[in-house]
Amino acid sequence: MTAGSTPLWRYAAGRLVQAVPLLLGVVVVNFLLISLAPGDPVATLLGEYPAPPEYIAQLRREFGLDQPAPMRLALYAWNVVRGELGFSFAYRLPVATLVAGRLGNTFLLMVTALSLAALVGVGLGVTAARRRGSGLDTAATGISLAGYSIPDFWLAQLLVLFFAVFLGWLPAQGIRSVREEYTGLAAVLDTARHLILPAAALSFRYMALISRLTRASMLEAMSQDFILAARARGLPERLVLLQHGLRNAALPIVTVIGYNFAFVLAGSALVETVFGWPGVGRLLYDAMLQRDTPVLLGVLLMVSATVVVVNLLTDLLYAALDPRVRY
Amino acid sequence: MRISMIVLLMAVVAAGSTVAAAPPEPQRGGSAVVAIGGDPETLNLGITTGYAVGAVAASIFSGLVWIDARGEIQPGLATSWTVSSDGLSYAFELRRGVKWHDGRAFTAQDVKFTMEQVTGLYHGRFRPAFLNFEAITVMSPQSLKITLKRPYAPLLRLLTVFDCPILPRHVYQGEDITRHSRNNDPVGTGPFKFREWVRGDRLVLERNDAYWDPVYLDRLIFRIIPGAALRVTALEVGEVDMVADFYLPKTDVDRLKRNPNVRLRLGQPIPSMGFMFINARRAPLDNPKVRRALALAINRVQIVTQAMGNLARPARGPFGDGFKWAFSPESDYNRLYPYNVERANALLDEAGLPRGAGGERPVRLRMVYDAARAPIAATAAIIRDNLRAVGITVDLQPMDRAVMIERIYTRPDYELTVQTFTSGGDPAIGYHRIYASAAPGTPFVNATGYSSQEVDSLLNRAAEVPERAARGKIYAQASKILAADVPTLMLFDEIGVDATRATLRGVWIGAEARDRWDAVWVQK
Repeated sequence: MTAGSTPLWRYAAGRLVQAVPLLLGVVVVNFLLISLAPGDPVATLLGEYPAPPEYIAQLRREFGLDQPAPMRLALYAWNVVRGELGFSFAYRLPVATLVAGRLGNTFLLMVTALSLAALVGVGLGVTAARRRGSGLDTAATGISLAGYSIPDFWLAQLLVLFFAVFLGWLPAQGIRSVREEYTGLAAVLDTARHLILPAAALSFRYMALISRLTRASMLEAMSQDFILAARARGLPERLVLLQHGLRNAALPIVTVIGYNFAFVLAGSALVETVFGWPGVGRLLYDAMLQRDTPVLLGVLLMVSATVVVVNLLTDLLYAALDPRVRY
Repeated sequence: MRISMIVLLMAVVAAGSTVAAAPPEPQRGGSAVVAIGGDPETLNLGITTGYAVGAVAASIFSGLVWIDARGEIQPGLATSWTVSSDGLSYAFELRRGVKWHDGRAFTAQDVKFTMEQVTGLYHGRFRPAFLNFEAITVMSPQSLKITLKRPYAPLLRLLTVFDCPILPRHVYQGEDITRHSRNNDPVGTGPFKFREWVRGDRLVLERNDAYWDPVYLDRLIFRIIPGAALRVTALEVGEVDMVADFYLPKTDVDRLKRNPNVRLRLGQPIPSMGFMFINARRAPLDNPKVRRALALAINRVQIVTQAMGNLARPARGPFGDGFKWAFSPESDYNRLYPYNVERANALLDEAGLPRGAGGERPVRLRMVYDAARAPIAATAAIIRDNLRAVGITVDLQPMDRAVMIERIYTRPDYELTVQTFTSGGDPAIGYHRIYASAAPGTPFVNATGYSSQEVDSLLNRAAEVPERAARGKIYAQASKILAADVPTLMLFDEIGVDATRATLRGVWIGAEARDRWDAVWVQK
């Protein structure tokens, strides 16, 4: 970017190359952990009656479970390098197809939840910092405390009870209505209605986190000399607050969003399960119960890759936000 | 005059109310939404006994017969059949003019192909019956004969869509059946055709206008709702129209009873039982006296009221009382094993397991069970408390289903476990596996290590004899041995509960809520 520093693209590319051995390590560790876990996928899949032994043997061959673990690991790693994520035991479909079908739904939920968390959290935090000690500040702190303490799957069930059962305003389940077949704008609105409750449930904790952090960073930033200087220059308070205060307080907020991405993804497994949201989180949860190893490995690998990319983007965003940061 | 007017008026009102009480005419159109807990692993019902597969695919395929709500066999793809007097030969006349969903004609060759190439090889319930087949002979495109090596009483019951769904030969012949692409997009002869499957969300079927009986619903939709409590919520708010017994949390039944928009069917024509496997390979459980003591010490009534919410009956014998003809009063648990702590204590003392200084006996048992099933967890906890009262320590080991299967069946490493098995409509189909000597390591069969030649041969005979009265006598003999040996302690006969929206009509024509969706309609 400036003379003497590495070009940004080279930095980014370097980070991505470094990520390759990391991701392979993830594959190996996950594979070993899953192999160590008890439970036979074939027995889990075949219903509640004894299945013919020849069929069980055939499935074991088909799934590669008759091979020793190191052989399976080598084969799996080789396939991953070639871009193949294998075949789901439970769904009898390529893992890539399964994950691709769910990824969009999870990102829709996560992006909505994180945007909601950032908007409301920053709003609450700025307001609380501006009126430190007021009733509003206390209320914002109270909401944050609640956000920290309430588990999201429990909140999810409460939201369903109140907004779907008691008030009947919003749907309780799924990503879109099944009785009606909407198209175009009506379909978008229908999904938006289904999105409100899961996104709210998923966002609450991060909203609390962001609002606390924003409040603290704002209080710190607002006590700096440059704020005094800005005020002395006669800038309106709103501009002082947003352009000088918030911009300087933004770094920790970006950090929270960037580095919590993996946790949001983990939280989405529970929220997706409660709301019947057909996303990657639920795919992961189902795969665990069914011992669907290829799906587990595929989803975990994809999550790791996403985290690497999001962390990199977060670091790059740092540089854009703070002129002092250089790579 | 005025009085007679009033009488006339009352008569008219009465007549009107009689008319209103008559069953309304089925209406065509609309859709029904059924909750299921997870995606089926395939839609080829011929290669699995998985519950979710049956829930969906039973409406896509047809069986030769179906079982009505009274438990009687009714014609399906087979319109009539005759059984030879020696019970070795079954001749079937098949329904004429039936078309596959792709327009091809259904023939007896499809039936032969399905049995020989699909269900006879891969289906957990049909295969044991198929191994006893001598030959399947196609007599004409619309008739077929099955000959057996030995008579097999429950054969007709194994010809339903759940046990032997008829598959299209022209689609599957010569191909890898278990991995066939049409397993996810199947061609059947059933009342509904496959339309769409969005994994993790929904499965949509649409009416087959060529079906032989009228089909009322435009669409039959299966909604995948993994959370048990949320399935009930979805029913209460009207997002789904049915939650069948298998997917209904019993703790919510009382609340549903008070909901005017919901209708319940209590009791199921196909008996199903909960029981405790006692690992008889391990001391001191290899001693029948100790097992009898457990039977006396465990309070089955408490389990039924507290763990099962009264949606069960305390078990009364080795085969329960769900099949009246197979129940033997001589081996009635109420007489042999009433809840009796004193007698249990005496038996344990006799077995050489005296109480120590702290009142505890030198017995520590691990109770392994599926953590996801709340009534089973509650049952396990009651058993632990019951056995503590007689000085036996029980460690509860809840685990997820995959691990549980391994610990109980594949590599048995447990002392006690609570399991539930369905009878499949006949003790020979679903209950023999509880007691018969089993190949070690086979899931969902006798996991106790108990093996009695006498019991095995009685069970084999009970499967061969056609008349119920004669079969009942054989079960009485087996019951006597099993009640004395108690390798497995029966705990309860389940009372199933299906819940639907009140607007859904014509459900429950079949023995199973998964069956006969062609007859279901929505009252507008």
